[in-house]
Amino acid sequence: MLTNHIKLAFRQLRKNSLYTAVTLIGLTVGIAAALLIFRMVRYELSFNKNFSNYDRIVRVVSEVKTPEAGVEHTVCTPIPAMAAIRQSVAPFEAMSSIREFWGMLALPDPDGGNAPLKKFNNSHDEIAFFAEPEFDRIFGLEWLAGNSATALAEPNSIVLTKRWADKFFPSVQDALGKTLLVDNQVSLVVRGVVADLPTRCDFPLTYLISWATIETYPDLFFYDETWGSCSSNYQVYALLRNAGQAEAANAALARVGETEYKSRTGEKNRTHRIQPLSELHYDERFGHSGKHTTSKTRLGILGGIGILILVMACFNFINLTTAQAALRAKEVGVRKTLGSRRRQLTAQFLTETALVVLAAVASGAALASGCAPLLKFISHVPDTEPFLSVPAVWIFLALTGALVTIFAGLYPALVLAGFKPVTALRGHADGKGSGGAPLRKSLVVLQFAIAQALIIAALITLQQLDFIRSRDLGFSQNLVYTFSIGTDSASLARQSALKQALLQIPTVESVSLSSDQPLSGNTWSSNFRYATRPDDEPYSISLKYCDVDYPRTYALQMLAGKWVAPSDTIRQGVVNETLLRKLGVQNPQEAVGQQIRLGRSTMVEITGVVRDFHTHSLREEHLPLLMTSRKIFFWEIGAKIRPDDIAGTLASIQKAYDSVLPEQVFEGRFLDERIARMYEDDNRLSATCKGFGVLAVLISCLGLFGLAAHAAQQRTKEIGIRKVLGASVTGIVGLLSKDFLKLVLVALLVAVPVAWYFMDKWLQDFAFRIGISWWVFAAAGAAAVLVAFATVGFQGTRAALADPVRSLRSE
Amino acid sequence: MIRTDKLVKIYRTDEVETMALNEVNVEIAEGEFVSVMGPSGCGKSTLLNVLGMIDSPSGGAYYFNGEEVGGLSERKRANVRKHNLGFVFQSFNLIDELTVYENIELPMLYTNVPSAQRKQRVEELLEGMNIMHRRNHFPQQLSGGQQQRVAVARAVVNKPKLILADEPTGNLDSANGDEVMKILADLNAAGTTILMVTHSQYCAEFGNRIIRMLDGQVVTENVVRQYL
Repeated sequence: MLTNHIKLAFRQLRKNSLYTAVTLIGLTVGIAAALLIFRMVRYELSFNKNFSNYDRIVRVVSEVKTPEAGVEHTVCTPIPAMAAIRQSVAPFEAMSSIREFWGMLALPDPDGGNAPLKKFNNSHDEIAFFAEPEFDRIFGLEWLAGNSATALAEPNSIVLTKRWADKFFPSVQDALGKTLLVDNQVSLVVRGVVADLPTRCDFPLTYLISWATIETYPDLFFYDETWGSCSSNYQVYALLRNAGQAEAANAALARVGETEYKSRTGEKNRTHRIQPLSELHYDERFGHSGKHTTSKTRLGILGGIGILILVMACFNFINLTTAQAALRAKEVGVRKTLGSRRRQLTAQFLTETALVVLAAVASGAALASGCAPLLKFISHVPDTEPFLSVPAVWIFLALTGALVTIFAGLYPALVLAGFKPVTALRGHADGKGSGGAPLRKSLVVLQFAIAQALIIAALITLQQLDFIRSRDLGFSQNLVYTFSIGTDSASLARQSALKQALLQIPTVESVSLSSDQPLSGNTWSSNFRYATRPDDEPYSISLKYCDVDYPRTYALQMLAGKWVAPSDTIRQGVVNETLLRKLGVQNPQEAVGQQIRLGRSTMVEITGVVRDFHTHSLREEHLPLLMTSRKIFFWEIGAKIRPDDIAGTLASIQKAYDSVLPEQVFEGRFLDERIARMYEDDNRLSATCKGFGVLAVLISCLGLFGLAAHAAQQRTKEIGIRKVLGASVTGIVGLLSKDFLKLVLVALLVAVPVAWYFMDKWLQDFAFRIGISWWVFAAAGAAAVLVAFATVGFQGTRAALADPVRSLRSE
Repeated sequence: MIRTDKLVKIYRTDEVETMALNEVNVEIAEGEFVSVMGPSGCGKSTLLNVLGMIDSPSGGAYYFNGEEVGGLSERKRANVRKHNLGFVFQSFNLIDELTVYENIELPMLYTNVPSAQRKQRVEELLEGMNIMHRRNHFPQQLSGGQQQRVAVARAVVNKPKLILADEPTGNLDSANGDEVMKILADLNAAGTTILMVTHSQYCAEFGNRIIRMLDGQVVTENVVRQYL
């Protein structure tokens, strides 16, 4: 019987080749889209799962109450709290303090030369940790060389990952006992080599330095042993005794710092709790040491889009099969008369669906494989990630195939198999063929609603990104080439020499040294008191440390007063408009000459006021800002260059850098590139909406094309009569098109509120954003109507141009 | 074999109610060849459909081999149909996507006849109907007469006790029509009961008895010749 079903299914599909092609292409595209989204979602969901203690590993995080921002979420743990946690949190079987580190590692010249033999920086997506010996017990590292128990016990010890050991030494064994220099000032002996961590890990480690090294050089690594100081680089990872002890650990952590974390009001303002490793990749409030976080909501939306695209392709199948039900009625009647049961007929029609789905699964997998390199525009999945060789992909395809067969095939199969034999034999479909019309209309509306909502989303994201690109940030980002110098005293001592060397280059207009660029995403802040006011303000002030050439290099606009005088330490400062607004100072001139007390005792004289500029991405409001001079924090250099001979200028800059700082690794980037990277996720979202919006339109139009062909075929006689009676081609095209176009317009009514709601929510994330214009909806609607008209009009025109005599005869 | 008691069939639409069968009493014994005649719309095809269990009566009783089958579920009716009845239609009703061989074989798939027996039986019929050379052709590739012979072969392949034929020669020329009628007569001679609806007096007289209908009722019954 099954052979019979398959044979017949093949013949049916061949006979209705147009409809088969329409459904096959739709399902192929749908399955390919779903598969690509599965690849993305699976990749994101696989993070950190390689650790054997995955369900027991936690990070200690904090919730800090602030008067202005409510509750802030941070990953930092103050140094003294680390000891308190170790003593008081019994559910922790092991615990390691860590400090994130992005410094430079060098293999010194044994002959004492200034330039090291080899030097490497961590790239932006790599990280090194200072860590305690128990780090290994928590994460279960795979040791290739060295003693895991002692490697991280002593100061000045380093453990390299295999990849980094290979960078410096010919073999793993050769590495042991060798000396490396970190940031050109601290010698480290290689005590071990561990296997590389998988790429799907939220701390892509390059090396581990013993925690005791920080304690030996506290000033170099900002090791501040006060309860009030907290740097997000300082964190705690721990291993629960068992996964069920999370609540007990939280209860114990809540008691840490009961007396120390007190605000001025006497209220405890910092509470520690655990963050399971399983949440590390998905909780955007805390972030992590890796490249990116992805919220589960975002993954849910992505999965939702995949399901919607697939469902839309299934709608095409349902629509075209039920529309053609009448053509199969006679066959159903004959089979039933000959004794076929409803179940057997259902099985037969499901076999037909299964064949189409099988073909679509095969072609969809091939299409997805071909399109996989495009994923880099919408996701973080690396090209190197295996695809079709992964068993989970095949399981996904099998399950998708089965589900699509049932979802797309069951309803039409039940409709067809449900025909009464006596009416079916007459070629009628018990009215179910036409009774399915409301369902078909609803599905077309739903398809176009999804497509139009995605198009609207794409248009709005594009508008917002365009707004971001074209917005005046309050400073000049063009042709400013930026790079870092070392934070060690030797490098800092050569700041001025480097600046002078750079200024010798004729195409370099100005050079500025600073703690960071105007827009960097970094936040340095302090409590402060303004002028003669009695108390600190209830909010903190952001800080930037910059030299005298900062306003010229970045083209900042002064509103009052002048820039700070050259100084190695904090003496004078320039504030921004937002600070004055928050302080209630109306006239910028009034602020000039006033004093600000930073922290407990550092006094700063305000010499000028600068127009507000964006210090963070456009997601965030302007912060109250103080720019002052402090030479030991001048790690970043910005060089404003002329547009002529850019390549030559960059080469000259690197040459100057290498001659002054031969021990450093030079990595330069234009400021506008750095800023653009802050919006990578938004660009990905926009590309996702664009890509899947186009797919949604394509699938919808395929369905419409099939339905229009069917409608034209069904109305052959009517078209013939109308033509004989004098109807024009335009009139007939209009007649056939208007019903479909109405559906597209109804779909727009459904899409507009849904798209508006979600995009408004997305825009709320931006402090600086566009308003949603009515024309976006009009444009999406017009585009959908045009595409739909082109699709339906083609069929309509073909039917209208047919010979009316033949049309009538065919009936 | 067949007995009806005041059989009623009413078709209802939203506004119109049509009584297609009005208290029809019919009795057909095993081995009979009964023709049903009457003007268009008199209810003869409806009677055939109800007796063939592809439509259900609205009232009255229908006994098949002594068992009341009018109230059976679709599933049970299908079961009775596939083991006892064969159908021949005016428009042949062959499945276009199946070959001649597969069309004839189809009823045996529903009665779970083993593959080897199916092959043997289909080949016997192909020989008997003189269409062996057309076994791999599709219905559209055959003449009307050949298609009807395939339809008759399909109707008898499960050796049914009763064949219901609805205008079997309606779409055929006289030569082909004669041929089909001879086949039916031969089947009847071999013991198969036949109930045939026809407009043709000539065809009707191939049977033993003619039932005439008008407005949903049986008006006369004539014996054509004595059967043995």
